[in-house]
Amino acid sequence: MADQTQPSTGSTQAGQPVDQQTHFEIERFMVREARLLDQDRLHEWLELLAPDIRYQLPVQEVRYRKDTQPIGSATGTYIFDDDYKLLEMRVNRMDTNLVWFEDPKTSSRRLITNIDAEWSEQAGEIDAYSTFLTYRNRRQSDETWLVGAREDRLRKTDQGWRLVNRVILLDQRVVQDKNLHLFL
Amino acid sequence: MKPVDELVLEDGAYQHRTMFWNEDIYEAELEHIFSRAWLFLTHESLIPEAGDYNTTRMGEDKVIVIRQQDGSIRAFINSCRHRGNTVCHADAGNTRQFTCSYHGWSYGSNGELIGVPLEQDAYFNQIDKSKFGLQEIAQVASYKGMVFGTFDASAPDLETYLGDMRWYMDSFLDVPGGIELIGPPMKSILNCNWKTPAENFGGDDYHFGWTHAAGVAVMGGPLEMLAGNTGVPNEVGFQVGSSYGHIFGFIEGGAAALQPFPEWREMYDNWLNSRLPGQEEKFGPLQARFYKGHWNANIFPNCSFLYGTNTFKVWQPRGPRAIEVYTWTLVEKEMPAELKQMMHRSNAATFGTAGMLESDDGENFEECTQTNRGFNTRQGYCHAGMGQQNEGPHPDMPGVISDNLMAETGLRNFYRTWARMVNGDDWTQIGAPATAPLKKLRAV
Repeated sequence: MADQTQPSTGSTQAGQPVDQQTHFEIERFMVREARLLDQDRLHEWLELLAPDIRYQLPVQEVRYRKDTQPIGSATGTYIFDDDYKLLEMRVNRMDTNLVWFEDPKTSSRRLITNIDAEWSEQAGEIDAYSTFLTYRNRRQSDETWLVGAREDRLRKTDQGWRLVNRVILLDQRVVQDKNLHLFL
Repeated sequence: MKPVDELVLEDGAYQHRTMFWNEDIYEAELEHIFSRAWLFLTHESLIPEAGDYNTTRMGEDKVIVIRQQDGSIRAFINSCRHRGNTVCHADAGNTRQFTCSYHGWSYGSNGELIGVPLEQDAYFNQIDKSKFGLQEIAQVASYKGMVFGTFDASAPDLETYLGDMRWYMDSFLDVPGGIELIGPPMKSILNCNWKTPAENFGGDDYHFGWTHAAGVAVMGGPLEMLAGNTGVPNEVGFQVGSSYGHIFGFIEGGAAALQPFPEWREMYDNWLNSRLPGQEEKFGPLQARFYKGHWNANIFPNCSFLYGTNTFKVWQPRGPRAIEVYTWTLVEKEMPAELKQMMHRSNAATFGTAGMLESDDGENFEECTQTNRGFNTRQGYCHAGMGQQNEGPHPDMPGVISDNLMAETGLRNFYRTWARMVNGDDWTQIGAPATAPLKKLRAV
């Protein structure tokens, strides 16, 4: 990894921090994405995704430091392991107005911070890192906080930046909520 | 606590609402159900090598399940015999010994106490280490790879305990190469009583078309006709109540029905069709049909699965008003890697922590418990009387069979067993055949 404390050198080599303009665009992308999700503008959110997106939230097992090899058929699992079609299905499901527990609706607020971005080995694509603090409030006083990080791959297209890959790292072995019925 | 015969009425059809709230009843469950019944621990495929272990819970007791040098599996209470600290804090791993983080006592994979710091200088070699091994779970056994344990040395063996359910489950457990669970499990919490998801998975086909109307509508497929609960012909399927309280609802030929995309359904259906002739040869067509259908099932008390959708769950009780949910994906060992991956992705998308159908259920489960906070609310009974006049024994299949998939045959069977166990009945009474007077027999 490059020395992130230094200003951009202008290099677009893999691992180099992006230039100020690109950083600004990435930050805007993330803030806008968060607002679309907070406002339930899910179809507009889908437009920010590349057609070949992979959207994952891996299960992180609690293991001793010296003992990290997968055991047997515990080969790795995901809470989200979606492609575009599955993400679109989740959005279309909301459109049916038959999701009873979202009526009255849950409100959610995403705070996205610690944004960092560097050039990837793929021309026109960057790796972006961010953390989130997401609040949900349901019905009367049912509330939860989710804290975690995201490792994103973004691609520059003629229409703007598009999300190609997202790995969500949720800092809870046991999810302290009844579901993760939201996009993080 | 009310007497048990005032808690469960009319052959399981009414349950007093304090059963989903009361601390004393919960303590009775820990003592009489979770300390006696066979409880799911792990699958053999998750701990294949000597020293491989998983940690889990049996009721509220923390346990370690570990593969021995001789290939057998043993389980121990995960608590140091010195001052009681948790001995192992990991979900899983491979080890030769567990060392307590408090004073450094260490235990071998066979549970024996093998190391005590300052044994000579402070204990003057007067501690008899053979007396302080980890407390072992009385019985641990595997049925076709599924590992269960019970604290009750007098409990019938696992095969007996699985009762009528075993005849049905063999159709998919006993496939060439066997089955396996893909882990590590997802884990989440629900603020509900543990019985609510257990009865729901095993015996509540009624909720499917209503609670999950949105998911069923967007996924399409053969179950779309159930969306909105407008009608359900008898041919769709039926429910089964097994001895020892196990239950399932069965959808004829529907194993692949809840895969989210037509091409995924086709891929899974092709696999099932390729294996079906072998299963028919082994079991005969009557039993082998269960290989090709969809199951919503509960192994008493708290192990649920959907065969076909292939989610596999344990509802770990945490007091009367909360549970931890563990979720694995069930696959056949010989499935190609691509199909296994598809099964895991579809399980995550439907019945995982972020699953489109799982999310529908959570709110209902929690509210069914939390409304009982109201003193007056919890003085009443919940009702599970659907189809009580339309169930009975079947000439060729074990257990109690309902006339229609939409029935609460499963719920009643679950609560009849619950009542027998909480009442402290002996095992012959607990394992008595699922009773239900025959009113009308369907031809299935």
